Amino acid sequence: MIMVEDVHGVCVLAEAVRRGRISAVSLIEDRLERVRRLDPLLNCFTSILEDRALAAAAEVDAMVAAGRDPGPLAGVPFGVKDNYDVARRVTTAGSIINRARPAAQADAVIAARVARAGAILIGTQNMDEFAYGFTTENAHYGATRNPRDRDRSAGGSSGGSAAAVAAGLTEFSLGTDTNGSIRVPSSFCGIFGLKPTFGRLPRTGTFPFVHDLDHLGPFARSAIDLATVYDAMQGFDHGDVACAERPKEPAAPGIAENGEGLRAALLSDWFEDMADAQGRAATAMVASALGIRQSIALPGTRRARAAAFVVTAASGGNLHREALRTQAGDFDPATRDRLLAGALLPADAVLQAQRVRQLYREEVLTAFRNHDVLIAPATPCSAPKLGQATIMVDGAEVAARPNIGLLTQPLSFIGLPIVTVPIHNGPMPIGVQIIAAPWREDVALAVAHRLEQAGIASAPIAEPC
Amino acid sequence: MIDERDVETLARMAGLKIDPAHLPGVTNNFRTLIEQADVLMTPPIAGETEPAATYHA
Repeated sequence: MIMVEDVHGVCVLAEAVRRGRISAVSLIEDRLERVRRLDPLLNCFTSILEDRALAAAAEVDAMVAAGRDPGPLAGVPFGVKDNYDVARRVTTAGSIINRARPAAQADAVIAARVARAGAILIGTQNMDEFAYGFTTENAHYGATRNPRDRDRSAGGSSGGSAAAVAAGLTEFSLGTDTNGSIRVPSSFCGIFGLKPTFGRLPRTGTFPFVHDLDHLGPFARSAIDLATVYDAMQGFDHGDVACAERPKEPAAPGIAENGEGLRAALLSDWFEDMADAQGRAATAMVASALGIRQSIALPGTRRARAAAFVVTAASGGNLHREALRTQAGDFDPATRDRLLAGALLPADAVLQAQRVRQLYREEVLTAFRNHDVLIAPATPCSAPKLGQATIMVDGAEVAARPNIGLLTQPLSFIGLPIVTVPIHNGPMPIGVQIIAAPWREDVALAVAHRLEQAGIASAPIAEPC
Repeated sequence: MIDERDVETLARMAGLKIDPAHLPGVTNNFRTLIEQADVLMTPPIAGETEPAATYHA
């Protein structure tokens, strides 16, 4: 047997559990102890599922003892954002309004899939209320602190999930990304995050924000771990009308080969102008490592970002209309004011936004005729301080909350698969987006792996103090 | 310039009532949204461009 506290990473841990070198119960006990010790400093978790986790770990150990394979994620501890259903628990989505809802009858589909692959759910994780934010400063459940600097934001809206991975509280977490809510916290916390193609992973059993923009995806501390978790979650499900009926297309098996010989380009204009010097430098490091010599512009990006902004507000306002009418005082004030404003938008703006979406999609797909991957910074800056009201963008001081997603929003608006890779080129890390054509998560993950192998991208465990 | 009275009127037409204490925040956010909506309108989009659809029969 080996010491569980010295072993990290999804694939490494799962292999050790499958071979009987560590027990799943001892692994879960170790990580629960780490959660008890560090989460009071970070506020990643909204609930700890200790009994359930230990029971599931015992089942994994029993399978190993019986000579059966518990699966590729055997014994690996994970968490889910608090908008994922967990059986017998109310899905709050970061609100107090949802506390009146009945408890979920089953786990969210993709959480159940990773559990069937042997992973152990240890808790639910903090988020911006109803996923409408980029900082995880939640008026009801408190702010999640960045484990690399506790005075700074972990990003959002999946901030608790990202911070837990960065701090080694979980080996992976599952989050959601509507406008950047996986990619922004990945960037701020210095970890890997995957937002798959829209329609790839079924959202069945998660609380929605914007039906035609919501994506689910994982966080991890390496590209191979990200790919392994992603592979375990793939597959059609009838419960999500947007889920594509595609076969599983595993990314992990070819990850070492698929990143070679690709045609790659940097995104210029908007994607340069909206990033600060650190973000541009990080992107240049990635470009150099990949041998990129070409930049291309996507002229419709400003308009696409505006369209994503409008669709999000209008759809969110519509989704929460009844609660806004009857329980406005129960919302987080920052969420309430944005949702109410969205509920007042004229239909003309929303329809125009959806036409802009179609145009931008066509423009970007044209770019993929000549390129396999596109590269862009993930956030306008590294993690701001908690409570920081403004950030600098393109020489101007702008409100932080609506602008942290400037670089992520246009791309999720058209549903592209994107891996955020962490670059540690300053006091705090910053992310770079590896953007692939629709359904080519394998390409984005392979490039992320290549950057990791080259020593450009990395996600060391943070030890908050 | 959109002001709080405009937002109150729109809210009433939409069947929503905004607490006076919330009105400044909602108005600020609505102004931002209208600025973004303005970005969408120029240049004009050809009539053949349909809205992105998610409905599947």
